[in-house]
Amino acid sequence: MLASIGLLVYLAAVIAPPLAGPPPASALAVAALQPLRPLVGSLYLGHGYRFFAPDPGPGHSLRWSIDRADDSKLEGVIPDRSADWPRLLYHRRFMISEKIAAAVPPADAPDDVRQRSRGDWQPLVKDVAGHLLARHGGTRVTLHLVEHYLPTPEEVVRAEQGADVVTPLGTYAVVGPEGQ
Amino acid sequence: MKTASTLGGGHTAASAATGQGGWGREWLAAWNTFWFAPADPLPLAVIRSCAGALLTWAAWVWLLDAEAFFGPEGWQRPENVWRMNDQPWQWSWYFAASSPGAVRLLAGLTLVAALALTFGIATPVTALVSLVGLVSAANRSPLNVFGFDDILGMLLVAVAVGPSGAVLSVDRLLAPDAGASRPSVRANVALRLLQVQLCVVYLFSGCGKLLGASWWEGTALWGAAANVQYRTLDLQWLAWHPLVTNALTLATLWWEVSYAALVWPRLTRRLAVAMAVPVHLGIGVAMGMMEFGLAMLVANMAFVPAAVLRRVLRPVLGSSSGTP
Repeated sequence: MLASIGLLVYLAAVIAPPLAGPPPASALAVAALQPLRPLVGSLYLGHGYRFFAPDPGPGHSLRWSIDRADDSKLEGVIPDRSADWPRLLYHRRFMISEKIAAAVPPADAPDDVRQRSRGDWQPLVKDVAGHLLARHGGTRVTLHLVEHYLPTPEEVVRAEQGADVVTPLGTYAVVGPEGQ
Repeated sequence: MKTASTLGGGHTAASAATGQGGWGREWLAAWNTFWFAPADPLPLAVIRSCAGALLTWAAWVWLLDAEAFFGPEGWQRPENVWRMNDQPWQWSWYFAASSPGAVRLLAGLTLVAALALTFGIATPVTALVSLVGLVSAANRSPLNVFGFDDILGMLLVAVAVGPSGAVLSVDRLLAPDAGASRPSVRANVALRLLQVQLCVVYLFSGCGKLLGASWWEGTALWGAAANVQYRTLDLQWLAWHPLVTNALTLATLWWEVSYAALVWPRLTRRLAVAMAVPVHLGIGVAMGMMEFGLAMLVANMAFVPAAVLRRVLRPVLGSSSGTP
């Protein structure tokens, strides 16, 4: 009996997270998840399993440029296909740009939307900036989010290529952002 | 395999129960048969070895840049992890590591545990440490995790719950025990957990895709193939063959959506599991996510009959293994 109850609780912790998110999700599913959060969190079960859903979109990278004390510049990109090897390491770094991109609204989004979202993505970007400065040295780092153009089959057939969308994410010194 | 036999057994038990107590008893009998009929531990042991190998590789890659992933000045500072995680529930032993040495020590511990798990050394302990190591890594660096980690976690829970070192392990070589390879209830519970969770994964993955127009239009696979950040195999030739893209997209979509229904009946199980091979290897080869693809295939092994594995592994198991 106890084993069955344990199994039912575990199954609930498996099913509730993908029902409760990512959006769209019902208020009922979100409420059902609440008492299960300790189990879901501690066993790393909080996944939505929406692989390549609802639609596979364009890929993203973070372009960075560091100013050093001797006036030299150092530039790089996350992920870096030429340096990030093995592929799993590349993919782990690729997730940084993808997850930040998920929090940054499109370049043509209304100003108030862009302003409101800043609280979501800027702390993430600030941490990445801090890590880059700690790793490479330098006085400040400037970051840009690059959305790589995803060509349609027709464009590939016609040998056409669209432009990537570049969104500035700000310049950060060791103590914090200097603004965009 | 136990899935086929116990589903059949469950039906028989349930039918007998119907006459005695009706619908509720029938459900109870079916539930008990599904979860608590003893099962051969061999599939779980194979899954343990494969999951251990995948975690060994994952831990090695974490170690290549451990301070960036888990250190105080990493890609994400520890005090900001709550922005992406459900704190305090998503614990991690890396939160207690304040020096580069401590970070590397903990990442190294995961690597050692994973290696031991692969070969079945001190399996109950190393399974638990492996699970703790994976969860700690994933919870400390939510900026760097993806589906591979989700599936590896699911595999390791099953491996930790069941007697995954009962066969195919150094433990068994050092302490031979003829009874260890006998069917056990814990082995069945672990495999059932994995089977049910895998169905949940495919169901939600498939249902999530139904919200996207490109999956209905049959063009979604192009979106994945043309994404230069993912691409490891040039599939641009698909631009000249839109119907091939349509067929591949729709086959993937409907297989995912229907997996949870088709994998249980004996008649369609082989088809549902067999489809996993081209789908996941295709994703692995074409999109550079081989680890994710392999983890999904390992999870699918929960549906492979023990008798099939026993035939395949006869040279390794030897004549002493017998049929439980």
